[in-house]
Amino acid sequence: MLSTIAAAALPILIAMLLLGGVAKLATADGDAEIGGLGRLGPAVLAPQRFRKAAMIGCALGELGLIAVLLLLPDQAVARWMPVAFFSVATYVLWDLRRRRPDVGCGCFGEVSAAPIGMRSIGRAAVLAAMAVIVAIESPGYAALSSWSWMTTAWLAGGIALVLLLSTEIEETVSRLRHRAPCEQRAIPAKRALSRLQSSSAWRSHVPMLVSDEPADMWRELCWRFFVFPARDGADVVFAVYLSGRRPAVKSAIVNADGRPITPLQESMHVSA
Amino acid sequence: MPYRTVDRRRTLAAAVLGRDTEAPRLTADDGMTLDAVSGEILDVSPHLIIVEDDDGEERRMVIAPWATAWHGASVAPADLPVGARVVIRALRSGTVVDRIWANITRMTGVILGITGKRDLTIELDCGPHRGRRTVVVPYRTSGRIRVRHPQLEPGYLFDAIGLMDAGTALAHIPATSQPPYRAKAVPPPPPAFRGVQSKISGAAAWGDFTEPGVTYPMLESADADCEDTGQSCAGLPYLAVGSMLFVRNVCDGRANALPIIGCGCIAGRFCDRCLECGTSPRGRLVELSATSYVELGGDLIKGCFNARVGLG
Repeated sequence: MLSTIAAAALPILIAMLLLGGVAKLATADGDAEIGGLGRLGPAVLAPQRFRKAAMIGCALGELGLIAVLLLLPDQAVARWMPVAFFSVATYVLWDLRRRRPDVGCGCFGEVSAAPIGMRSIGRAAVLAAMAVIVAIESPGYAALSSWSWMTTAWLAGGIALVLLLSTEIEETVSRLRHRAPCEQRAIPAKRALSRLQSSSAWRSHVPMLVSDEPADMWRELCWRFFVFPARDGADVVFAVYLSGRRPAVKSAIVNADGRPITPLQESMHVSA
Repeated sequence: MPYRTVDRRRTLAAAVLGRDTEAPRLTADDGMTLDAVSGEILDVSPHLIIVEDDDGEERRMVIAPWATAWHGASVAPADLPVGARVVIRALRSGTVVDRIWANITRMTGVILGITGKRDLTIELDCGPHRGRRTVVVPYRTSGRIRVRHPQLEPGYLFDAIGLMDAGTALAHIPATSQPPYRAKAVPPPPPAFRGVQSKISGAAAWGDFTEPGVTYPMLESADADCEDTGQSCAGLPYLAVGSMLFVRNVCDGRANALPIIGCGCIAGRFCDRCLECGTSPRGRLVELSATSYVELGGDLIKGCFNARVGLG
């Protein structure tokens, strides 16, 4: 059973690594200089001059893992390398979501520009789980010789799961429909406001707002910002991502000096 | 939509999205900017010029032996009239004058009407934020203007550089070749299935405003308080007043981070190329203030430079 799943997981891992590596190499060139419009992946945490090298390094690492999966199934250290890669990727995406909520995961270059959500993190975790099964069974080339209908069914299920967790599909469809990326599409402010008002970030902040009318709003790339006056002279600022069916909504409370205020429940650590 | 200050927008956006409040610092490798001084001449001699700058400060500057001035034509700096409004390109931390443009003005807009037979008087719509203005094309320069503006008819675009003479704007030099389409028929940007480019190349022009910064055509109409915005053939992304833009003069290799200070509603309608060094891709990306343009190494009597912009 486990060997069947491993045989089905192997082509999925190879396809994801190949697509990711090639797409990153194609995108790396554009984001090298100061002021690049693309803000993609963990490379944004690196200093500006190392970003291109970081992205190319990651892409080459992914392409190298394909060779490891296919050619070195018998080497114990080598076959656990994809597990380490996808586990680290899951953690990095989780951390990046907290530190830079505006950046995309960059998993497939600039198509992965949507802010990191649970789906992107879930996909990395699923791939890590697949890599664990592959590492245990280490099918290598031999998987092709023992192909069965059951393997095909597992493969189809795996592909469906990965596609379900891929936000890139929505962005690709809307680009084909509108012939323009989100940054170039005119999107009415009212639509963004209604998306904001149906979000959980809005419901948690609405008691502290002085007015329901935004004091200021503006749009930058694929984000629309709304500022509402709050009690004690503070402002509550919301950022609504303008693409996707359930877009990301980020919020912050900023005092008059421009310093973010951490809400009490977030500033208290959970104690045993 | 009112907003308290534009800086506040940057602070709030940084707080909610975890960005750095400060734009990345430019280094010498990015290309250092020149110094530009804008003001009024109080006194001028062959070697020294005294200027009251826009902040009301008196500045005494040495005129370099190679320095030249423009006042409708090339003139010696000492021949500039006292009281003229000047833009000065300066070296050595703003103490040595390299180039002076006196009483220079830029006339960019949509032609509303033309009167006159020898000297032409053109009524221009300079956009919802700048209103209308009347410019005069003197007979002696009308041939030069007409060569680059074959459609001097209402509805077409007009862009010229000239001189302010006793409150009258006199067109001297065409700033660009007039686009062949009517102002309301701006070509659409090419389809961008690939996504927004990281850096966008095109032309950067200068405009008749003094506040340092740029005007940018792709603002949402709800944010810019006008319906004429959001037009550009360059495939620009939507940004807002207050966003920082990195503008690089590709010809001169100088770059600067400049805030967007308004809507470049008319600039976005120009789907022209800049031929300052090579041929730029189509589309006017930004319109810089005269001093910001000079700081980036631009020459005011040439209407544009090849530029590359990115977000700060």
